[in-house]
Amino acid sequence: MILILYTLLAILAIAAIALCRTHRQINTVSILHGLFTLLLALGIIFFVRIPTTSFVVGSEFFFIDHLGIYEVLIAAVIFTLAALYARGYVDSLLADGELEKGSLKLFYSAWSLLLLVLVLAFFSDNLALFWIFAELTTVISAMLVAILSARENIDAAIKYIFIASVSMLFSFVGLIFLFEISRSVLGTGTLNWTDLIQHASAFPAGLMIACFVLVFIGLAAKSGIFPFHTWLPEAHAKAPSAVSAILSGVLLNVGIYGIIRMFAIIHQTPAVGLASPILALFGILSIGVAVFCMLPERNLKKLIAFSSIENMGIMLVGLAVATPVAIFWVIFHVMAHAFTKASLFLSAGILHRQYHSRFSGDAVDEIRDVFKYQPLAAWGIILGGLAIIGIPPFAVFFSKLFILLQLGTVSLPVLVLVLILLFVAASAFGYFVITSFSQVSTPDAPFDREPYLTPSSMKIPVVILLFLILVLGIWFPAGEISFISQIVTELRF
Amino acid sequence: MIDPAYVEGFVKILFVCVIVTAAYIISTRNLLTLVSVYAAQSFILVLMALTLWAVEGSPVLLAIAGITFLSKVLIIPYFITSIQEKIRIKRDLRFHFLSPTTSLIISIGLMLVIYIALSRIAQETTGTSSLFFFGAVIGISLMMMGMMVTFSRKRAITKVLGYLTMENGVLLFGLFVTELPFIIEFLIIIDLIILVLLTTILTVGLDSTLEEYHQRIHRFYLWEDEEAP
Repeated sequence: MILILYTLLAILAIAAIALCRTHRQINTVSILHGLFTLLLALGIIFFVRIPTTSFVVGSEFFFIDHLGIYEVLIAAVIFTLAALYARGYVDSLLADGELEKGSLKLFYSAWSLLLLVLVLAFFSDNLALFWIFAELTTVISAMLVAILSARENIDAAIKYIFIASVSMLFSFVGLIFLFEISRSVLGTGTLNWTDLIQHASAFPAGLMIACFVLVFIGLAAKSGIFPFHTWLPEAHAKAPSAVSAILSGVLLNVGIYGIIRMFAIIHQTPAVGLASPILALFGILSIGVAVFCMLPERNLKKLIAFSSIENMGIMLVGLAVATPVAIFWVIFHVMAHAFTKASLFLSAGILHRQYHSRFSGDAVDEIRDVFKYQPLAAWGIILGGLAIIGIPPFAVFFSKLFILLQLGTVSLPVLVLVLILLFVAASAFGYFVITSFSQVSTPDAPFDREPYLTPSSMKIPVVILLFLILVLGIWFPAGEISFISQIVTELRF
Repeated sequence: MIDPAYVEGFVKILFVCVIVTAAYIISTRNLLTLVSVYAAQSFILVLMALTLWAVEGSPVLLAIAGITFLSKVLIIPYFITSIQEKIRIKRDLRFHFLSPTTSLIISIGLMLVIYIALSRIAQETTGTSSLFFFGAVIGISLMMMGMMVTFSRKRAITKVLGYLTMENGVLLFGLFVTELPFIIEFLIIIDLIILVLLTTILTVGLDSTLEEYHQRIHRFYLWEDEEAP
């Protein structure tokens, strides 16, 4: 039932987009699609007993548990706000000729389709089905990256598709292994997560670790973990900023979501002793590589993209600790990071409209007189930057603090190493903000560009997201805590 | 009933054919034959699925053979060939890191490594026959060889063929190791077709200048909804 509702919603949205004539109308449809997805998710939380039976969902291959609905909620919020942002942003892309008018409907249809596929991925009980939807998110989001009429966007999209899809094939081989393992243990093969986690303790450890590593390769590429991260800065920096917010805030979560599910299964077997160090190793390597790439970076969107890799690394480290408290804060970090990163990309998009190089998305941003021309975006970057490096009272501070505290109980040297790396990341952000935002035009070198009049539809989402990450940091309602605790229990940690 | 020894011999011959096609895909510079070799490789997989069906009689295998034939022997090669005619690229001369000879030597090494690794795993699961074990080894090797093509070639259209070869490897592995539900095989094919469509259309853009690209894109009537006839 619920799945049919979501699918109907997307079909309606795409049909309406095809019928609309102006950009305003198309955009309104897109905002409404996000909003209804959000309302439906809230309806499920308040009126449906979670985890649901398959009848309510509509198929035995799907289910809704707390983690799934939590991810859908995050996705719906970001999609709605990014669609609102796109109202002004896409207008400006059209005016500058960066997006062709003929591509508008394709852009918004892909947008709605991506939201549907994401919802289906998060509600998949069957891991192979999840794999297919995750793979489709890659293809559709690559289309959104490639839609700008620039050759480098096509380059970035092709790189993204090939790295992610090739790695995802390894995941599929891992899933075939898992199917065979479940068939030899249970008699009938299954890839349904709920069945797998129930019987996981009987699975042979040696095979499980091979299977985990294979599945991890693909999902790590989806979430930009080192050494499969090379597509991420390119794609995130060159995509239209509304799309960057989705790529970073929602698409990366798909990979981490899959890793969490898979790790929950392996956590029931003795193989966890080998799986945890693997996660920790790749987590720390990702943080390390990302922060040292951040230091010399002079392109704002790339800097933010590298920070995403760093945060994915932190989540992996938190997972590797594998205590219930650590998992709790990893789940919280998924949300805190998603909102913070979306706000950063949306602010960066405003600056990008004002200062971007006309020649290449790779070029250094020539930011000058930022407080005079774009004060809101400047403060968005400063506050978002403070939030993402983990300054209280923003939400990311708490998740980072508790993940690190939990890490400290396992290994002190690793904690020190991670702390040093996080400090480097913070300095990279600080250095960028101080050097770029202090540039002012002088009479010898006046600022020759027209000031970009930011429409309020682009300002409102930034303000809402900043408000959201502040509230999430200072107010922990009992409902939120019990909700996330429920996720941890369902994952059997 | 068919004699099992005869079937085993036949499947082994098909294995050799798969390896030969993979070696050709790795080393050739000629794009036109690349597609036909890919189609031939997919056809060999269809034959394998049919042979297994003749022995085991499972209708899923027959269905897999059917959709593989339709999608990978007919539709995808036809689509890529028509794209190639449009962009008029006949040869892919540039190799990124590996020359064809080193690629071939590396793939031989990889096959040995995979053989050793899988025979360790096979020790844990008892009761797998040698044919199925070889199917798994060849499947993973084919994947690795496809991956080398994807990463060592410069042209995106050759990369697509590398990816398709990888996918054939996964199919082969799946055929011999376990029996996945048909719906999943079907959805993978759908995913594959979308991916090939998108990447080849983007390739048209990469392999030409931007102005030409827009002209070419318009021929597919994808980005212009008003001007389509």
